[in-house]
Amino acid sequence: MSADTTIRSAEDVLPKVARRPVRVHWDAILTVILLLWGSAIMIAPFAWIMQVAFSSAARAYQMPPQFFPSSITLQNFANVFQDVPYLNFIRNSFFVAAAITVGQLITCPMAAYPFARLRFPGKNVLFIVLLATLMIPVQVTIVPLFIFMRQTGLYNTHWSIILPALISPFGVFLLRQYFMTIPTELEDAARIDGASYITIFWRIIVPLSMPAMMTLGIITFVFWWNEYFTPLIMLHDPELQVLPVGLTLLQGRYSAGAVGNVAAGVTMAVIPILIVFLLLQRNIIKSIASTGLKG
Amino acid sequence: MTALARTMSNPLRRAEVLTAYLFLSPTLIGFVVFIVGPVIAAVVLSTYNWNMINPAEPAGLNNYKQLLSDPRLGSIYLTTFKIAVSTVLLKLFLGLIIAVLLDTKIHNWLRTFFRLSFFFPFVVSATAVALIWSFLLNKDLGMVNWFLGLVGIQRIPWLNSSTWSPLAIIITDVWKDLGFYVVVFVGGLQTISGDLYEAAEVDGSNRFQRFLYITLPLLTPTILFLSVIGLINAVQIFAQPWVLTMGGPGDATRTVVMYIFEQGFRFFNMGYASTVALSLFVVLFGLTILQFAFSRRWVFYQ
Repeated sequence: MSADTTIRSAEDVLPKVARRPVRVHWDAILTVILLLWGSAIMIAPFAWIMQVAFSSAARAYQMPPQFFPSSITLQNFANVFQDVPYLNFIRNSFFVAAAITVGQLITCPMAAYPFARLRFPGKNVLFIVLLATLMIPVQVTIVPLFIFMRQTGLYNTHWSIILPALISPFGVFLLRQYFMTIPTELEDAARIDGASYITIFWRIIVPLSMPAMMTLGIITFVFWWNEYFTPLIMLHDPELQVLPVGLTLLQGRYSAGAVGNVAAGVTMAVIPILIVFLLLQRNIIKSIASTGLKG
Repeated sequence: MTALARTMSNPLRRAEVLTAYLFLSPTLIGFVVFIVGPVIAAVVLSTYNWNMINPAEPAGLNNYKQLLSDPRLGSIYLTTFKIAVSTVLLKLFLGLIIAVLLDTKIHNWLRTFFRLSFFFPFVVSATAVALIWSFLLNKDLGMVNWFLGLVGIQRIPWLNSSTWSPLAIIITDVWKDLGFYVVVFVGGLQTISGDLYEAAEVDGSNRFQRFLYITLPLLTPTILFLSVIGLINAVQIFAQPWVLTMGGPGDATRTVVMYIFEQGFRFFNMGYASTVALSLFVVLFGLTILQFAFSRRWVFYQ
């Protein structure tokens, strides 16, 4: 009985193996067609907005929708630079995001090291309190921060955004988890040779944690480059504004007509990100997917 | 106290403790000034009425009474939940399908192309995305209605009808975030051992059965992770409705964060804005606890 079924199933398997390539082939074609449709839906809006940016106004709403410009004009871009301080937006966004990223790359590893390696009174309580605040949404602290910035005269300066973001309980947690995975043998050897904690941190922990530091750097920069809520509240002058808020200023002035100007503004915001994204895609996707950035 | 004194009298331990606090000091100072302080201030503010011009007036629990009786806030919370739950469910559903399709045997460069095209909108700012979709969803001139017209669907007033505008927000938000879900799901799929599928194939299972009885149960921790952080973020949605519809028509697309923003920074009701913000914290906290509590029933840990 059992011998019988074994033989029969072996016979079943052989023709199956021979048939298989053809079937899998059709599956693969269907899969690729579905995915191509999907990525067309992701790419088409960008292609369309760039087409509008490079075209004259008449083509903006031409149907069927166009995805390539027929004749190129730079008029829309010229209008953007004339009507809003667009270069300022880019410079401001870069300054704010870079300052916060640098700041967190200094404060977070410094705080993560004692939590991962040193013994000190209050360690567990502090760590739990720090983690608990991860649950507090930014909307709770933004009203008191706004009042604080008004009273200290920091309102309407980039520091009102940068200062509160120089530390990050999330970043401390992320790096602490990574530091915990580093074997302690090297540090033990360094201790025996009389190295101080500061030397160990700087010469051993930091160099061995570059992948985690890179992850923190990427997600911090991407988050603050795209941040809209905080700058909308903390900044008033258009000259000081960051790109995500600046783009909506274009919409405000042209909600009636000039689609092309908004399109040009959006295009100039998207193209640098596209270039950086294509260059660093592996690192960016891995960093964001492994940590769940957003919020 | 004596334990601390003993610790500090040992020079080696003293160096360790001092180093620890030295290293922690920037984070601790920032933490107290920019997180703990403002949280306490928000609680205090919620018991005052203050418009930043006149002196603050103690209001006792009036702001909390207003919170519970505010007819707009109830409907705004409902709208926010409707949008948040829909977007998270759609992102989970579509993200899983696309991840499973990507996890099959296709050319490497094609896979990279798909991954990049799905993920790219996630790294673009929400305002740029919302601006693009405000054109695409235009009733008379937008691309979406033109394509729908090809299959005989009449023009939909996406942005100025209280029936359709929440859907416009949902579409825009799902389109932007989908790639993140895809990439996390692909990561989850890669942790599932191929042996399981081979064993099931030998046992005569078909593709659908393998998905239902192997892939799906083993992905439940990934689904939990995505639905917890997804819901926290989705409930806080702000930029998309702010740019696309300004919350309108009426309150049809007004979310809780938009309401906090308007109360605080348009009308300068600092006390009430803080109260609503604290209610949002309680809601988010409750939702997260609820999700973890429920997860015992459906999440499968290997």
